[in-house]
Amino acid sequence: MGVELVQERWKGKLYALTIGREPYQVVAGGDSTLPFLDLDGGSYTRPVSALTVFDRRPENWPDTLTGAWGDVLDNPVQWARKCVELGADAVALKLVSAHPEQGDRSPQECAATVKAVAEAVDQPLIVLGCAVNEKDAAVLPVVSEALNGYNCLIGQATSENYKTVVAGCLAHGHSVIATSPLDINLAKQLNILMTDMNLPPDRIAMDLSIGPLGYGIEYAYSIIERKRTGALLGDRMLAMPVICLVGEEAWKVKEAQRADDLEWGADEPRGILWEAVTAVALAQAGASIFVFYHPEALRQFNTQIDALMGK
Amino acid sequence: MSVQIHFVPDNLTVRVNVDESILQAAARAGIILRGACGGAGTCGRCGVTLRSGSVLVDNELYRGDEAPTVLSCRAYPTSDVVVEIPPASRLSEHQVLLDSQEQGRLEAGDERPVSPARPLYQEATVGLTVPDCDNAGDDLARLRRGLEPLAGTPDFTVATGLLRDLPGVLRAADWKPRCGIAFGFEPPRLVYAGTGSDTPCYGVAVDVGTTTVVVQLANLNTGSVVGTRGSYNRQAAFGDDVISRIIYATEESNGREHLRLKVLETINALLEELLAETGTTEQSVRACSCAGNPTMVHLLLGVDPSYIRLEPYTPAANEWPILTASEVGLRIFGEAPVYCLPGVGSYVGGDISGGLAFSGAAFADGVTLFVDIGTNGEIVLGNREWLIGCACSAGPAFEGAGVTCGMRATEGAVEQVAVSAGGFEVLLKAIGGTRPAGICGSGLIAGLSALQRAGVIDRSGRFSPGLDTPRLRSGANGCEFVLAWGSESGTGRDLALTNHDLQNLLRAKAAVFAGIQTLLRSVGLGKDDIEQVLIAGGFGLHINVRDAVAIGMLPDLPPERFRFVGNSSLGGARLALLSALDRAVIEETARRVTYMELDETTPFMDEFMAAMFLPHTDIGLFPSVTEQE
Repeated sequence: MGVELVQERWKGKLYALTIGREPYQVVAGGDSTLPFLDLDGGSYTRPVSALTVFDRRPENWPDTLTGAWGDVLDNPVQWARKCVELGADAVALKLVSAHPEQGDRSPQECAATVKAVAEAVDQPLIVLGCAVNEKDAAVLPVVSEALNGYNCLIGQATSENYKTVVAGCLAHGHSVIATSPLDINLAKQLNILMTDMNLPPDRIAMDLSIGPLGYGIEYAYSIIERKRTGALLGDRMLAMPVICLVGEEAWKVKEAQRADDLEWGADEPRGILWEAVTAVALAQAGASIFVFYHPEALRQFNTQIDALMGK
Repeated sequence: MSVQIHFVPDNLTVRVNVDESILQAAARAGIILRGACGGAGTCGRCGVTLRSGSVLVDNELYRGDEAPTVLSCRAYPTSDVVVEIPPASRLSEHQVLLDSQEQGRLEAGDERPVSPARPLYQEATVGLTVPDCDNAGDDLARLRRGLEPLAGTPDFTVATGLLRDLPGVLRAADWKPRCGIAFGFEPPRLVYAGTGSDTPCYGVAVDVGTTTVVVQLANLNTGSVVGTRGSYNRQAAFGDDVISRIIYATEESNGREHLRLKVLETINALLEELLAETGTTEQSVRACSCAGNPTMVHLLLGVDPSYIRLEPYTPAANEWPILTASEVGLRIFGEAPVYCLPGVGSYVGGDISGGLAFSGAAFADGVTLFVDIGTNGEIVLGNREWLIGCACSAGPAFEGAGVTCGMRATEGAVEQVAVSAGGFEVLLKAIGGTRPAGICGSGLIAGLSALQRAGVIDRSGRFSPGLDTPRLRSGANGCEFVLAWGSESGTGRDLALTNHDLQNLLRAKAAVFAGIQTLLRSVGLGKDDIEQVLIAGGFGLHINVRDAVAIGMLPDLPPERFRFVGNSSLGGARLALLSALDRAVIEETARRVTYMELDETTPFMDEFMAAMFLPHTDIGLFPSVTEQE
């Protein structure tokens, strides 16, 4: 006797966010079902995975990370090229040196860096500021202008600085990362505020803030899941794809940072696994874009995604 | 060691011990300073300027020659000092003449007369049979028989001391004494026996609010209101909300007694004004009923309130024993009964049980939403068959105390606001048609709505940058929007709404709406199931429903479903003062309300965050607002 599968039909659908230039464009979101459940007849879009490039040599990185990148750490352009060679769908350039206490580079200097990186790779570019609201409000519009035509994804815009960040992206044809502090309502409010500025809803990626494995990942999981179901149930202001900065969060934890500890086993795979496992879990929650630090974590993530997608 | 503090510009001097803060000294001198945090030194609103002398603040010495600004709640004088109090630190009436009738009307709301039916105190001249040799029973027994029709029982008790002079009084009155029975005591109590004639006696109804106290004098024979007076609760210098008051009462030495005296002072001062104004004597005020949230009643009676804020949140009593005025400390007839309306739970008190009875919410056929908007916002949903209620801390914004230029809904308070697109022009209407002196709760609601419509603020309540209007400027506390320039205002100072004010308002409205949503969900109803919304609160009768809906404070329902009932806490207190039947109804109502503690339910916080937006994160809840856009 055959078993009839119960099919779940959703009335809502995620917006499809397209970044980059033809023919290297990538699409995040656009899904009309829960993650990996396209057997219901809905469509599921494979998550986009990106690798992070810093605009200057990172400080306090564990050997596992510095070892993976070698010489390119001093050169964002070469680093970006290497990201592409290692299989990243997109390059995420983080403007650490714009931070007032870590170089305080001017918007113009930042713009020069992003321009050089954008010209060096064909793949789409994600630009992350220094996460200081006022400084990002000064830097990101200038960066947006310099990247005119590249169709980038730029952030992080918060409730404090979204107006200037969105204005810059609107004027120069980019999409925006909307960052909120792990609260579904605040996330949705920021989307409403941004679309109230006439930013098309398919040009927003939501950064809901995440906790890595062992450090509150369950909160991140449930909020991403709640956002996903909200969108599928028809809430258009929750229908933007989610971006997760897994590298940044996973490599902060002591389990990823710490040098060899016999009880914990060798650190080489530990940090990488921490990052990959965090990402796979959040992919199952329903996030769409993943930004990694370690190329091996990205590779393992994609292997898992292949398996989950039945490839 | 004691030192002197001289306050300018008030020109008042008080002598203090070194363990008394400037804030406490100022309160003793009758100057009420702002103190949202209850003296913890965290809110920074009670700042004063030291002009001469020296003070100790957190173990650091400050001297007057540099004219430093110090937080008065943390400053202890070490020598004689002169202290200047800046207007911004003062919690006071704006210096605008108040027409008492207008003020009374606004604060009392509905003053429909209540025909007295066994009020808390009732007096009558009783003809007693004259004793003779055939009928020589004792005086008290004679009085019991004579008073039975009035007291409803011959077994009433007799106030201490009254018996001592009774024989003389009865004879002096030629066996036709004037007797007064206090009801509410079980059994009733004889509290007055005299030779007096048929003079009117009065009762006082008191609304003991966290921020505002209103006192109303009513004739106990006719039930008519003689006068009403309101002012800020002098406790307000020791914390904005009930939680900070409880903390003050629990953690400061003698804090509980201090707060008790402050609220008593407030009530007694209002009474004194009211008596002088109406030519009534203290002794002719023979009964009092008080309605307030549980914390306020605890503090008025000097009862330890600490467990209200500790899980599982238990008040000392919901139904209060009746006391006498002299026990409580009220300056009226000493044996007058003082009845406190029964409460429901830790944060829903007699003000609500009284309000539900007064507004009719307790007897409604259809589903009724009763919202009392004050510092402690209380919400009750239900009808004559069921009632469920909760309290959410809205803060004092709607009573005009949580915002820079806020004031109570009295003459001069802005109650209507229109703003032209882009914020260039502003039209204000103040109560009494005077120049604006400040802004009251209804004006704040109108203002928030108008500023959003004009595009001056975005839907998160933040100012939009780059507006081409001189009204949007950077002030001492961040960005602010000028509603009226000094040249147009009644105070000579600019009236402005700051970013901080707007966020306070947003929190206040979000708390109210989140409470409503949480209650609705708990009983599985939606907004459209609500047949009527009764709005209570002393924040002005002229609140515009459309504005309140536009900012997302009240549910989006057709305007005809809303009704304003004014200060229903005071109304409930008056009912209790004047009628035994109403007292029974209020007691029954208090027992009927199912109390819901919001702190324990995470859905409330989620609802609150969703409501921290104009009008709401879920715009689907506000279809009429979407249509207007």
